[in-house]
Amino acid sequence: MIADLIETVVKILIVFGINMGFFAPILGWVERKQSAVMQDRVGANRADILGFRIIGLFHPIADALKVMVKEDFIPDGANKLFHTLAPFISLTCALVTFAVIPFGGQYELFGHKVNLVIADLDVGILFVFAFASLAPFGAVLAGWSSNNNWSFLGGMRASAQMLSYEVAMGFTIIGVIMVYGTLQLTEIGAAQADFFRWGIFLQPVGFLLFFTCAIAENKRIPFDMPEAESELVAGYFTEYSGMKFVMFWMGEFVEIVTISAIVTTLFFGAWHIPFVSDTALVSLFSPVGQAASNLLAMIHDSLGSPATALAVSTLLAMVVNLGVFLAKIIFFIWLQMTIRWTLPRFRYDQVMRLGWKMILPISLINIFITGLFML
Amino acid sequence: MPIEPQKIKKVRRNLELTLWEKLYIFEVIRGLFITTRHLVVNLIGFVVPPAGKKRSIPTIYYPEEKRVMFDAYRGRPVLVAQENGSEKCVACGLCEKICPGRAITIVAREKENGDRFPLQFTLDMTRCVYCGYCEEVCPKEAIVMSREYENLAAYNRAEMIFSKESLLRPEKDLRERLEYVRRIYSKCNY
Ligand code: SF4
Ligand code: SF4
Repeated sequence: MIADLIETVVKILIVFGINMGFFAPILGWVERKQSAVMQDRVGANRADILGFRIIGLFHPIADALKVMVKEDFIPDGANKLFHTLAPFISLTCALVTFAVIPFGGQYELFGHKVNLVIADLDVGILFVFAFASLAPFGAVLAGWSSNNNWSFLGGMRASAQMLSYEVAMGFTIIGVIMVYGTLQLTEIGAAQADFFRWGIFLQPVGFLLFFTCAIAENKRIPFDMPEAESELVAGYFTEYSGMKFVMFWMGEFVEIVTISAIVTTLFFGAWHIPFVSDTALVSLFSPVGQAASNLLAMIHDSLGSPATALAVSTLLAMVVNLGVFLAKIIFFIWLQMTIRWTLPRFRYDQVMRLGWKMILPISLINIFITGLFML
Repeated sequence: MPIEPQKIKKVRRNLELTLWEKLYIFEVIRGLFITTRHLVVNLIGFVVPPAGKKRSIPTIYYPEEKRVMFDAYRGRPVLVAQENGSEKCVACGLCEKICPGRAITIVAREKENGDRFPLQFTLDMTRCVYCGYCEEVCPKEAIVMSREYENLAAYNRAEMIFSKESLLRPEKDLRERLEYVRRIYSKCNY
Protein backbone atom coordinates (compact mmCIF):
# COMPACT_ATOMS: atom_id res chain seq x y z
CA MET A 1 0.00 0.00 0.00
CA ILE A 2 2.71 2.41 1.08
CA ALA A 3 4.81 1.25 -1.84
CA ASP A 4 1.92 1.96 -4.22
CA LEU A 5 1.51 5.40 -2.78
CA ILE A 6 5.21 6.22 -3.08
CA GLU A 7 5.26 4.87 -6.62
CA THR A 8 2.31 7.03 -7.69
CA VAL A 9 3.65 10.14 -6.02
CA VAL A 10 7.04 9.67 -7.65
CA LYS A 11 5.47 9.19 -11.05
CA ILE A 12 3.24 12.23 -10.67
CA LEU A 13 6.23 14.27 -9.59
CA ILE A 14 8.24 13.12 -12.58
CA VAL A 15 5.50 13.77 -15.13
CA PHE A 16 4.32 17.10 -13.79
CA GLY A 17 7.79 18.22 -12.89
CA ILE A 18 8.89 17.62 -16.47
CA ASN A 19 5.80 19.32 -17.82
CA MET A 20 5.41 22.37 -15.67
CA GLY A 21 8.99 22.77 -14.57
CA PHE A 22 10.74 22.03 -17.82
CA PHE A 23 8.55 22.06 -20.90
CA ALA A 24 6.15 24.89 -20.13
CA PRO A 25 8.78 27.58 -19.47
CA ILE A 26 11.35 26.28 -21.90
CA LEU A 27 8.94 26.03 -24.80
CA GLY A 28 8.27 29.73 -24.71
CA TRP A 29 11.96 30.26 -25.12
CA VAL A 30 12.22 27.58 -27.81
CA GLU A 31 9.40 29.10 -29.79
CA ARG A 32 10.98 32.54 -29.82
CA LYS A 33 14.48 31.36 -30.43
CA GLN A 34 13.73 28.70 -33.01
CA SER A 35 11.51 30.98 -35.04
CA ALA A 36 14.17 33.66 -34.90
CA VAL A 37 17.06 31.48 -36.03
CA MET A 38 14.89 29.94 -38.70
CA GLN A 39 14.15 33.40 -40.09
CA ASP A 40 17.80 34.49 -39.96
CA ARG A 41 17.29 36.55 -36.81
CA VAL A 42 18.87 36.24 -33.40
CA GLY A 43 15.86 36.22 -31.10
CA ALA A 44 15.53 37.08 -27.46
CA ASN A 45 18.95 37.31 -25.85
CA ARG A 46 18.89 40.46 -23.73
CA ALA A 47 17.88 39.25 -20.27
CA ASP A 48 21.05 38.83 -18.26
CA ILE A 49 22.10 38.11 -14.71
CA LEU A 50 25.42 39.74 -13.83
CA GLY A 51 26.24 40.02 -17.49
CA PHE A 52 25.64 36.34 -18.26
CA ARG A 53 23.11 35.75 -20.97
CA ILE A 54 23.35 32.04 -21.81
CA ILE A 55 21.60 32.44 -25.18
CA GLY A 56 18.51 34.08 -23.71
CA LEU A 57 17.62 31.33 -21.25
CA PHE A 58 16.89 33.90 -18.55
CA HIS A 59 13.93 35.16 -20.50
CA PRO A 60 11.53 32.58 -19.08
CA ILE A 61 12.48 33.75 -15.59
CA ALA A 62 12.04 37.38 -16.56
CA ASP A 63 8.71 36.56 -18.17
CA ALA A 64 7.51 34.71 -15.10
CA LEU A 65 8.45 37.61 -12.83
CA LYS A 66 6.80 40.11 -15.10
CA VAL A 67 3.62 38.11 -15.33
CA MET A 68 3.32 37.63 -11.58
CA VAL A 69 3.45 41.31 -10.80
CA LYS A 70 1.08 42.33 -13.57
CA GLU A 71 -2.39 43.57 -12.86
CA ASP A 72 -5.05 40.94 -13.26
CA PHE A 73 -7.67 42.79 -15.21
CA ILE A 74 -11.30 41.76 -15.54
CA PRO A 75 -13.21 43.93 -17.98
CA ASP A 76 -16.43 45.69 -17.11
CA GLY A 77 -19.48 43.62 -17.86
CA ALA A 78 -17.53 40.38 -17.98
CA ASN A 79 -18.92 37.35 -16.27
CA LYS A 80 -16.41 37.17 -13.42
CA LEU A 81 -16.92 33.52 -12.56
CA PHE A 82 -16.50 32.16 -16.08
CA HIS A 83 -13.85 34.67 -16.95
CA THR A 84 -11.76 33.32 -14.09
CA LEU A 85 -12.68 29.72 -14.68
CA ALA A 86 -11.78 29.56 -18.38
CA PRO A 87 -7.97 29.58 -18.14
CA PHE A 88 -8.08 26.91 -15.44
CA ILE A 89 -10.16 24.67 -17.67
CA SER A 90 -7.72 25.16 -20.55
CA LEU A 91 -4.64 24.33 -18.52
CA THR A 92 -6.17 21.47 -16.55
CA CYS A 93 -7.49 19.71 -19.63
CA ALA A 94 -4.08 19.84 -21.21
CA LEU A 95 -2.30 18.57 -18.11
CA VAL A 96 -4.67 15.83 -16.97
CA THR A 97 -4.26 13.90 -20.20
CA PHE A 98 -0.75 13.02 -19.14
CA ALA A 99 -2.06 10.75 -16.41
CA VAL A 100 -2.82 7.97 -18.86
CA ILE A 101 0.19 8.25 -21.14
CA PRO A 102 2.76 5.54 -20.47
CA PHE A 103 6.36 6.67 -20.45
CA GLY A 104 7.96 3.30 -19.85
CA GLY A 105 7.35 -0.44 -19.65
CA GLN A 106 6.34 -2.64 -16.73
CA TYR A 107 9.11 -3.75 -14.42
CA GLU A 108 9.61 -5.51 -11.11
CA LEU A 109 11.43 -3.65 -8.39
CA PHE A 110 12.06 -5.62 -5.16
CA GLY A 111 9.09 -7.83 -6.00
CA HIS A 112 6.85 -4.81 -6.47
CA LYS A 113 5.33 -4.32 -9.88
CA VAL A 114 6.08 -0.90 -11.26
CA ASN A 115 4.12 0.33 -14.24
CA LEU A 116 5.47 3.52 -15.69
CA VAL A 117 2.17 5.29 -16.14
CA ILE A 118 0.25 7.29 -13.55
CA ALA A 119 -3.14 5.76 -14.18
CA ASP A 120 -3.29 2.65 -16.34
CA LEU A 121 -6.89 2.97 -17.48
CA ASP A 122 -8.51 0.30 -19.62
CA VAL A 123 -9.97 3.02 -21.79
CA GLY A 124 -6.92 5.25 -21.80
CA ILE A 125 -7.48 6.55 -25.29
CA LEU A 126 -11.08 7.48 -24.52
CA PHE A 127 -9.89 9.36 -21.47
CA VAL A 128 -7.58 11.37 -23.70
CA PHE A 129 -10.47 12.16 -26.01
CA ALA A 130 -12.78 13.02 -23.16
CA PHE A 131 -10.41 15.68 -21.96
CA ALA A 132 -9.59 16.82 -25.47
CA SER A 133 -13.29 17.50 -25.96
CA LEU A 134 -13.42 19.44 -22.69
CA ALA A 135 -10.71 21.79 -23.94
CA PRO A 136 -13.01 23.84 -26.23
CA PHE A 137 -14.93 24.88 -23.12
CA GLY A 138 -11.93 26.85 -21.97
CA ALA A 139 -11.79 28.77 -25.22
CA VAL A 140 -15.52 29.19 -25.60
CA LEU A 141 -16.06 30.32 -22.03
CA ALA A 142 -13.19 32.75 -22.28
CA GLY A 143 -14.53 34.22 -25.49
CA TRP A 144 -18.09 34.39 -24.31
CA SER A 145 -17.52 35.74 -20.81
CA SER A 146 -15.12 38.51 -21.82
CA ASN A 147 -17.80 40.88 -23.10
CA ASN A 148 -15.67 41.77 -26.09
CA ASN A 149 -16.49 41.31 -29.73
CA TRP A 150 -13.10 40.01 -30.74
CA SER A 151 -13.14 37.50 -27.92
CA PHE A 152 -16.64 36.44 -28.80
CA LEU A 153 -15.77 35.84 -32.44
CA GLY A 154 -12.68 33.95 -31.36
CA GLY A 155 -14.67 31.79 -29.01
CA MET A 156 -17.21 31.06 -31.69
CA ARG A 157 -14.56 30.05 -34.16
CA ALA A 158 -12.88 27.96 -31.49
CA SER A 159 -16.04 26.00 -30.86
CA ALA A 160 -16.68 25.43 -34.56
CA GLN A 161 -13.13 24.45 -35.38
CA MET A 162 -12.41 22.27 -32.39
CA LEU A 163 -15.69 20.40 -32.62
CA SER A 164 -15.23 19.64 -36.32
CA TYR A 165 -11.69 18.42 -35.89
CA GLU A 166 -12.61 16.33 -32.90
CA VAL A 167 -14.93 14.31 -35.06
CA ALA A 168 -12.23 13.71 -37.63
CA MET A 169 -9.68 12.96 -34.89
CA GLY A 170 -11.96 10.33 -33.41
CA PHE A 171 -12.22 8.57 -36.73
CA THR A 172 -8.50 8.67 -37.46
CA ILE A 173 -7.77 6.94 -34.19
CA ILE A 174 -10.14 4.05 -34.88
CA GLY A 175 -7.69 2.58 -37.38
CA VAL A 176 -5.05 2.36 -34.65
CA ILE A 177 -7.48 0.80 -32.20
CA MET A 178 -8.42 -1.78 -34.81
CA VAL A 179 -4.82 -2.70 -35.53
CA TYR A 180 -3.75 -3.13 -31.92
CA GLY A 181 -7.14 -4.37 -30.72
CA THR A 182 -7.08 -2.42 -27.46
CA LEU A 183 -8.02 0.92 -25.98
CA GLN A 184 -5.39 0.72 -23.28
CA LEU A 185 -2.47 3.01 -24.03
CA THR A 186 0.04 0.85 -22.14
CA GLU A 187 -0.93 -2.14 -24.26
CA ILE A 188 -0.72 -0.12 -27.45
CA GLY A 189 2.74 0.94 -26.34
CA ALA A 190 3.80 -2.58 -25.45
CA ALA A 191 2.49 -3.88 -28.79
CA GLN A 192 5.05 -1.68 -30.56
CA ALA A 193 8.08 -3.42 -29.10
CA ASP A 194 8.75 -4.79 -32.58
CA PHE A 195 10.07 -2.02 -34.80
CA PHE A 196 7.97 -3.08 -37.77
CA ARG A 197 4.80 -2.99 -35.70
CA TRP A 198 5.10 0.74 -34.99
CA GLY A 199 1.96 2.68 -35.75
CA ILE A 200 3.62 4.71 -38.45
CA PHE A 201 4.16 1.55 -40.55
CA LEU A 202 0.76 0.08 -39.90
CA GLN A 203 -1.21 3.34 -40.14
CA PRO A 204 0.76 5.91 -42.15
CA VAL A 205 -2.35 7.74 -43.36
CA GLY A 206 -3.79 7.60 -39.88
CA PHE A 207 -0.66 9.27 -38.54
CA LEU A 208 -0.82 12.14 -41.01
CA LEU A 209 -4.48 12.78 -40.39
CA PHE A 210 -4.20 12.48 -36.64
CA PHE A 211 -1.26 14.83 -36.49
CA THR A 212 -3.10 17.40 -38.60
CA CYS A 213 -6.20 17.15 -36.46
CA ALA A 214 -4.15 17.41 -33.30
CA ILE A 215 -2.49 20.63 -34.46
CA ALA A 216 -5.90 21.97 -35.43
CA GLU A 217 -7.20 21.04 -31.97
CA ASN A 218 -4.38 23.01 -30.44
CA LYS A 219 -5.41 26.13 -32.36
CA ARG A 220 -1.92 26.88 -33.59
CA ILE A 221 -0.91 28.24 -36.95
CA PRO A 222 -1.82 27.13 -39.64
CA PHE A 223 -5.11 26.52 -37.81
CA ASP A 224 -5.14 29.58 -35.59
CA MET A 225 -8.63 30.73 -36.43
CA PRO A 226 -9.70 31.27 -32.80
CA GLU A 227 -6.64 33.40 -32.05
CA ALA A 228 -6.06 35.03 -35.42
CA GLU A 229 -3.76 37.81 -34.32
CA SER A 230 -4.12 39.52 -37.67
CA GLU A 231 -7.91 39.66 -37.48
CA LEU A 232 -9.11 39.30 -33.91
CA VAL A 233 -6.36 40.93 -31.79
CA ALA A 234 -5.77 37.76 -29.78
CA GLY A 235 -9.09 36.02 -30.25
CA TYR A 236 -10.70 34.44 -27.26
CA PHE A 237 -8.10 35.59 -24.75
CA THR A 238 -7.97 39.22 -25.83
CA GLU A 239 -9.27 40.38 -22.44
CA TYR A 240 -6.87 38.39 -20.32
CA SER A 241 -3.81 39.72 -18.59
CA GLY A 242 -1.20 38.64 -16.11
CA MET A 243 -1.22 35.12 -14.79
CA LYS A 244 -4.47 34.13 -16.47
CA PHE A 245 -3.13 35.06 -19.87
CA VAL A 246 -0.10 32.93 -19.18
CA MET A 247 -2.31 30.03 -18.19
CA PHE A 248 -3.76 29.98 -21.68
CA TRP A 249 -0.33 30.29 -23.07
CA MET A 250 1.01 27.47 -20.92
CA GLY A 251 -2.04 25.41 -21.71
CA GLU A 252 -1.11 25.72 -25.35
CA PHE A 253 2.46 24.63 -24.72
CA VAL A 254 1.46 21.75 -22.48
CA GLU A 255 -0.93 20.70 -25.19
CA ILE A 256 1.94 20.63 -27.66
CA VAL A 257 3.70 18.24 -25.32
CA THR A 258 0.54 16.20 -24.88
CA ILE A 259 0.04 15.90 -28.61
CA SER A 260 3.64 14.84 -29.05
CA ALA A 261 3.24 12.27 -26.30
CA ILE A 262 0.07 10.82 -27.79
CA VAL A 263 1.52 10.70 -31.29
CA THR A 264 4.61 9.00 -29.91
CA THR A 265 2.55 6.48 -28.00
CA LEU A 266 0.23 5.66 -30.85
CA PHE A 267 2.50 5.82 -33.86
CA PHE A 268 6.15 5.95 -32.91
CA GLY A 269 6.73 3.00 -30.66
CA ALA A 270 6.09 4.77 -27.36
CA TRP A 271 9.12 4.23 -25.09
CA HIS A 272 10.83 1.61 -27.25
CA ILE A 273 14.19 1.92 -28.91
CA PRO A 274 14.02 0.17 -32.29
CA PHE A 275 15.13 -3.48 -32.04
CA VAL A 276 15.79 -3.32 -28.28
CA SER A 277 13.15 -4.82 -26.03
CA ASP A 278 12.70 -3.91 -22.36
CA THR A 279 14.13 -7.20 -21.07
CA ALA A 280 17.14 -6.78 -23.34
CA LEU A 281 17.58 -3.32 -21.85
CA VAL A 282 17.63 -4.68 -18.30
CA SER A 283 20.17 -7.36 -19.18
CA LEU A 284 22.21 -4.76 -21.02
CA PHE A 285 22.54 -2.82 -17.80
CA SER A 286 23.21 -5.88 -15.61
CA PRO A 287 27.02 -5.35 -15.51
CA VAL A 288 26.39 -1.78 -14.30
CA GLY A 289 23.93 -3.08 -11.73
CA GLN A 290 26.48 -5.66 -10.59
CA ALA A 291 29.14 -3.00 -10.20
CA ALA A 292 26.75 -0.76 -8.30
CA SER A 293 25.78 -3.54 -5.93
CA ASN A 294 29.47 -4.31 -5.33
CA LEU A 295 29.99 -0.67 -4.44
CA LEU A 296 26.99 -0.66 -2.14
CA ALA A 297 28.25 -3.84 -0.48
CA MET A 298 31.16 -1.81 0.84
CA ILE A 299 28.69 0.31 2.81
CA HIS A 300 26.61 -2.57 4.11
CA ASP A 301 26.87 -6.29 3.38
CA SER A 302 23.17 -6.82 2.82
CA LEU A 303 23.10 -4.22 0.07
CA GLY A 304 25.39 -6.27 -2.13
CA SER A 305 22.84 -8.91 -3.05
CA PRO A 306 21.88 -9.83 -6.63
CA ALA A 307 18.49 -8.28 -5.89
CA THR A 308 20.04 -4.83 -5.64
CA ALA A 309 21.99 -5.48 -8.81
CA LEU A 310 18.77 -6.27 -10.60
CA ALA A 311 17.04 -3.27 -9.05
CA VAL A 312 19.78 -0.91 -10.17
CA SER A 313 19.75 -2.20 -13.72
CA THR A 314 15.95 -2.06 -13.76
CA LEU A 315 16.02 1.51 -12.55
CA LEU A 316 18.52 2.37 -15.26
CA ALA A 317 16.29 0.73 -17.85
CA MET A 318 13.40 2.86 -16.59
CA VAL A 319 15.45 5.98 -16.91
CA VAL A 320 16.40 5.00 -20.45
CA ASN A 321 12.72 4.39 -21.22
CA LEU A 322 11.84 7.81 -19.95
CA GLY A 323 14.75 9.36 -21.84
CA VAL A 324 13.78 7.72 -25.13
CA PHE A 325 10.20 8.77 -24.65
CA LEU A 326 11.27 12.32 -23.92
CA ALA A 327 13.57 12.37 -26.94
CA LYS A 328 10.71 11.34 -29.18
CA ILE A 329 8.46 13.95 -27.58
CA ILE A 330 11.09 16.60 -28.18
CA PHE A 331 11.32 15.58 -31.80
CA PHE A 332 7.60 16.07 -32.26
CA ILE A 333 7.64 19.35 -30.38
CA TRP A 334 10.30 20.50 -32.79
CA LEU A 335 8.21 19.31 -35.71
CA GLN A 336 5.14 21.19 -34.50
CA MET A 337 7.13 24.34 -33.90
CA THR A 338 8.63 24.09 -37.38
CA ILE A 339 5.21 23.61 -38.92
CA ARG A 340 3.95 26.61 -36.99
CA TRP A 341 6.69 28.82 -38.38
CA THR A 342 6.66 27.40 -41.89
CA LEU A 343 3.11 27.21 -43.09
CA PRO A 344 0.88 30.16 -43.91
CA ARG A 345 -2.49 30.37 -42.18
CA PHE A 346 -5.58 28.84 -43.65
CA ARG A 347 -8.65 30.88 -44.32
CA TYR A 348 -11.64 30.07 -42.15
CA ASP A 349 -13.59 28.33 -44.89
CA GLN A 350 -10.48 26.40 -45.89
CA VAL A 351 -10.13 25.12 -42.35
CA MET A 352 -13.70 23.92 -42.35
CA ARG A 353 -13.39 22.39 -45.80
CA LEU A 354 -10.22 20.58 -44.87
CA GLY A 355 -11.82 19.20 -41.74
CA TRP A 356 -15.15 18.05 -43.11
CA LYS A 357 -14.51 17.38 -46.77
CA MET A 358 -10.99 16.01 -46.80
CA ILE A 359 -9.88 14.62 -43.47
CA LEU A 360 -13.17 13.07 -42.44
CA PRO A 361 -13.74 11.11 -45.70
CA ILE A 362 -10.11 10.05 -45.88
CA SER A 363 -10.22 8.80 -42.33
CA LEU A 364 -13.37 6.82 -43.09
CA ILE A 365 -11.68 5.27 -46.12
CA ASN A 366 -8.69 4.55 -43.92
CA ILE A 367 -10.90 2.64 -41.46
CA PHE A 368 -12.43 0.72 -44.33
CA ILE A 369 -9.08 -0.27 -45.82
CA THR A 370 -7.70 -1.19 -42.42
CA GLY A 371 -10.72 -3.42 -41.94
CA LEU A 372 -10.10 -5.09 -45.30
CA PHE A 373 -6.48 -5.83 -44.38
CA MET A 374 -7.45 -7.21 -41.00
CA LEU A 375 -9.87 -9.64 -42.61
CA MET B 1 30.66 49.57 -51.59
CA PRO B 2 30.04 47.87 -54.96
CA ILE B 3 26.74 46.07 -55.29
CA GLU B 4 27.18 42.39 -55.94
CA PRO B 5 25.00 40.89 -58.65
CA GLN B 6 22.21 38.93 -57.01
CA LYS B 7 20.89 35.60 -58.11
CA ILE B 8 17.46 36.15 -59.58
CA LYS B 9 14.89 33.63 -58.51
CA LYS B 10 11.86 33.02 -60.70
CA VAL B 11 8.56 32.99 -58.87
CA ARG B 12 5.55 31.39 -60.49
CA ARG B 13 2.52 33.58 -60.09
CA ASN B 14 -1.17 33.07 -60.77
CA LEU B 15 -0.61 29.68 -62.25
CA GLU B 16 -2.81 26.66 -61.98
CA LEU B 17 -1.40 24.42 -59.31
CA THR B 18 -0.18 21.10 -60.48
CA LEU B 19 -1.65 17.95 -59.01
CA TRP B 20 1.52 17.46 -56.98
CA GLU B 21 1.10 20.86 -55.40
CA LYS B 22 -2.59 20.33 -54.82
CA LEU B 23 -1.76 17.29 -52.74
CA TYR B 24 -0.29 19.86 -50.37
CA ILE B 25 1.46 17.44 -48.09
CA PHE B 26 4.60 17.13 -50.24
CA GLU B 27 4.87 20.88 -50.63
CA VAL B 28 4.51 21.14 -46.85
CA ILE B 29 7.41 18.76 -46.42
CA ARG B 30 9.44 20.81 -48.88
CA GLY B 31 8.66 23.96 -46.91
CA LEU B 32 9.64 22.28 -43.66
CA PHE B 33 12.86 21.22 -45.29
CA ILE B 34 13.68 24.80 -46.29
CA THR B 35 13.04 26.25 -42.85
CA THR B 36 14.97 23.47 -41.21
CA ARG B 37 17.88 24.09 -43.53
CA HIS B 38 17.92 27.71 -42.45
CA LEU B 39 17.74 26.67 -38.82
CA VAL B 40 20.62 24.23 -39.10
CA VAL B 41 22.82 26.52 -41.18
CA ASN B 42 22.32 29.39 -38.76
CA LEU B 43 22.87 27.23 -35.70
CA ILE B 44 26.13 26.01 -37.18
CA GLY B 45 26.90 29.63 -38.01
CA PHE B 46 26.74 30.53 -34.33
CA VAL B 47 29.38 28.01 -33.42
CA VAL B 48 31.55 28.03 -36.54
CA PRO B 49 31.05 31.43 -38.18
CA PRO B 50 31.48 31.65 -41.94
CA ALA B 51 34.69 33.26 -43.10
CA GLY B 52 34.93 36.98 -42.47
CA LYS B 53 31.75 37.22 -40.41
CA LYS B 54 30.86 36.93 -36.75
CA ARG B 55 27.88 34.69 -37.42
CA SER B 56 25.80 33.67 -40.40
CA ILE B 57 22.90 35.80 -39.13
CA PRO B 58 23.25 39.38 -40.35
CA THR B 59 21.94 40.95 -37.12
CA ILE B 60 24.27 43.40 -35.40
CA TYR B 61 24.18 43.14 -31.60
CA TYR B 62 23.63 46.85 -31.31
CA PRO B 63 24.96 48.35 -28.09
CA GLU B 64 27.97 46.05 -28.11
CA GLU B 65 28.64 46.00 -31.82
CA LYS B 66 28.17 49.23 -33.65
CA ARG B 67 27.63 49.70 -37.28
CA VAL B 68 29.93 52.02 -39.20
CA MET B 69 27.56 54.02 -41.31
CA PHE B 70 28.08 54.41 -45.02
CA ASP B 71 29.26 57.71 -46.53
CA ALA B 72 25.85 58.84 -47.72
CA TYR B 73 24.40 58.58 -44.22
CA ARG B 74 23.09 61.84 -42.81
CA GLY B 75 23.54 61.85 -39.07
CA ARG B 76 23.97 64.79 -36.74
CA PRO B 77 25.29 67.92 -38.52
CA VAL B 78 28.68 68.85 -37.06
CA LEU B 79 31.20 71.64 -37.56
CA VAL B 80 34.55 70.88 -39.10
CA ALA B 81 37.55 71.99 -37.04
CA GLN B 82 40.81 73.23 -38.45
CA GLU B 83 44.23 71.93 -37.48
CA ASN B 84 44.49 74.49 -34.68
CA GLY B 85 41.12 73.47 -33.26
CA SER B 86 39.13 76.51 -34.31
CA GLU B 87 36.15 76.22 -36.62
CA LYS B 88 36.27 76.57 -40.40
CA CYS B 89 32.98 78.42 -40.45
CA VAL B 90 33.15 82.03 -41.56
CA ALA B 91 29.69 82.92 -40.29
CA CYS B 92 28.37 83.72 -43.73
CA GLY B 93 24.88 82.81 -42.53
CA LEU B 94 23.94 80.75 -45.60
CA CYS B 95 23.13 77.69 -43.60
CA GLU B 96 21.10 79.69 -41.14
CA LYS B 97 19.16 81.08 -44.08
CA ILE B 98 18.54 77.82 -45.93
CA CYS B 99 17.77 75.61 -42.99
CA PRO B 100 14.12 74.56 -43.45
CA GLY B 101 13.76 73.77 -39.79
CA ARG B 102 15.40 77.01 -38.68
CA ALA B 103 17.60 74.97 -36.47
CA ILE B 104 20.73 77.07 -36.82
CA THR B 105 21.34 80.41 -35.08
CA ILE B 106 24.59 82.24 -35.67
CA VAL B 107 26.03 85.25 -33.87
CA ALA B 108 28.79 86.59 -36.14
CA ARG B 109 31.82 88.65 -35.08
CA GLU B 110 34.86 90.04 -36.84
CA LYS B 111 38.50 89.60 -35.87
CA GLU B 112 41.09 92.44 -35.95
CA ASN B 113 42.36 91.25 -39.32
CA GLY B 114 38.86 91.42 -40.76
CA ASP B 115 38.06 87.65 -40.74
CA ARG B 116 34.57 86.77 -39.74
CA PHE B 117 33.86 84.02 -37.28
CA PRO B 118 30.82 82.77 -35.42
CA LEU B 119 30.86 83.85 -31.81
CA GLN B 120 27.98 81.51 -31.21
CA PHE B 121 26.78 78.71 -33.43
CA THR B 122 23.70 77.12 -31.93
CA LEU B 123 22.15 74.02 -33.40
CA ASP B 124 18.70 73.17 -32.11
CA MET B 125 18.37 69.44 -32.71
CA THR B 126 14.71 69.49 -31.77
CA ARG B 127 14.17 71.30 -35.06
CA CYS B 128 16.69 69.68 -37.39
CA VAL B 129 15.19 67.40 -40.02
CA TYR B 130 18.52 65.97 -41.25
CA CYS B 131 17.97 67.33 -44.73
CA GLY B 132 21.61 68.20 -45.28
CA TYR B 133 20.91 71.57 -46.93
CA CYS B 134 23.30 73.29 -44.53
CA GLU B 135 26.08 71.02 -45.71
CA GLU B 136 25.21 71.51 -49.35
CA VAL B 137 25.06 75.26 -49.15
CA CYS B 138 28.16 75.84 -47.03
CA PRO B 139 30.92 77.47 -49.16
CA LYS B 140 33.65 76.51 -46.70
CA GLU B 141 32.91 72.85 -46.05
CA ALA B 142 32.50 73.91 -42.48
CA ILE B 143 29.38 71.96 -41.64
CA VAL B 144 28.82 68.34 -42.66
CA MET B 145 26.42 65.59 -41.84
CA SER B 146 28.36 63.12 -39.70
CA ARG B 147 27.91 59.41 -39.17
CA GLU B 148 26.79 60.00 -35.59
CA TYR B 149 23.47 58.35 -34.94
CA GLU B 150 23.62 57.97 -31.18
CA ASN B 151 22.20 60.33 -28.55
CA LEU B 152 20.15 62.16 -31.12
CA ALA B 153 17.21 61.97 -28.78
CA ALA B 154 17.28 63.29 -25.24
CA TYR B 155 15.09 63.41 -22.17
CA ASN B 156 14.57 67.19 -22.30
CA ARG B 157 14.84 69.92 -24.88
CA ALA B 158 17.70 71.74 -23.24
CA GLU B 159 19.92 68.71 -23.85
CA MET B 160 19.16 68.85 -27.55
CA ILE B 161 20.54 72.31 -28.10
CA PHE B 162 24.17 72.20 -29.10
CA SER B 163 26.77 74.92 -28.93
CA LYS B 164 29.64 75.51 -31.32
CA GLU B 165 32.13 73.90 -28.96
CA SER B 166 30.15 70.66 -28.62
CA LEU B 167 29.78 70.38 -32.41
CA LEU B 168 33.42 70.74 -33.43
CA ARG B 169 34.96 67.58 -34.84
CA PRO B 170 38.52 67.20 -36.20
CA GLU B 171 38.66 67.19 -39.96
CA LYS B 172 40.34 63.80 -40.25
CA ASP B 173 37.31 62.08 -38.70
CA LEU B 174 35.08 63.52 -41.37
CA ARG B 175 37.28 62.90 -44.38
CA GLU B 176 35.06 60.27 -46.03
CA ARG B 177 32.03 62.46 -45.78
CA LEU B 178 33.90 65.48 -47.11
CA GLU B 179 35.07 63.52 -50.12
CA TYR B 180 31.59 62.25 -50.66
CA VAL B 181 30.21 65.77 -50.46
CA ARG B 182 32.74 67.00 -53.04
CA ARG B 183 31.79 64.17 -55.36
CA ILE B 184 28.06 64.48 -54.97
CA TYR B 185 27.64 68.26 -54.92
CA SER B 186 30.53 68.95 -57.39
CA LYS B 187 32.07 71.42 -55.01
CA CYS B 188 35.32 72.79 -56.40
CA ASN B 189 35.01 76.45 -55.54
CA TYR B 190 37.59 76.69 -52.77
S1 SF4 C 1 20.29 69.33 -41.75
FE1 SF4 C 1 18.70 70.65 -42.57
S2 SF4 C 1 17.38 71.05 -40.80
FE2 SF4 C 1 19.27 70.22 -39.98
S3 SF4 C 1 20.51 71.99 -39.51
FE3 SF4 C 1 21.08 71.39 -41.58
S4 SF4 C 1 19.76 72.58 -42.90
FE4 SF4 C 1 18.89 72.69 -40.85
S1 SF4 D 1 27.23 78.06 -44.38
FE1 SF4 D 1 29.13 77.22 -43.58
S2 SF4 D 1 30.46 78.98 -43.37
FE2 SF4 D 1 28.44 79.80 -43.63
S3 SF4 D 1 27.68 80.07 -41.57
FE3 SF4 D 1 27.01 78.05 -42.17
S4 SF4 D 1 28.65 76.70 -41.48
FE4 SF4 D 1 29.46 78.76 -41.41
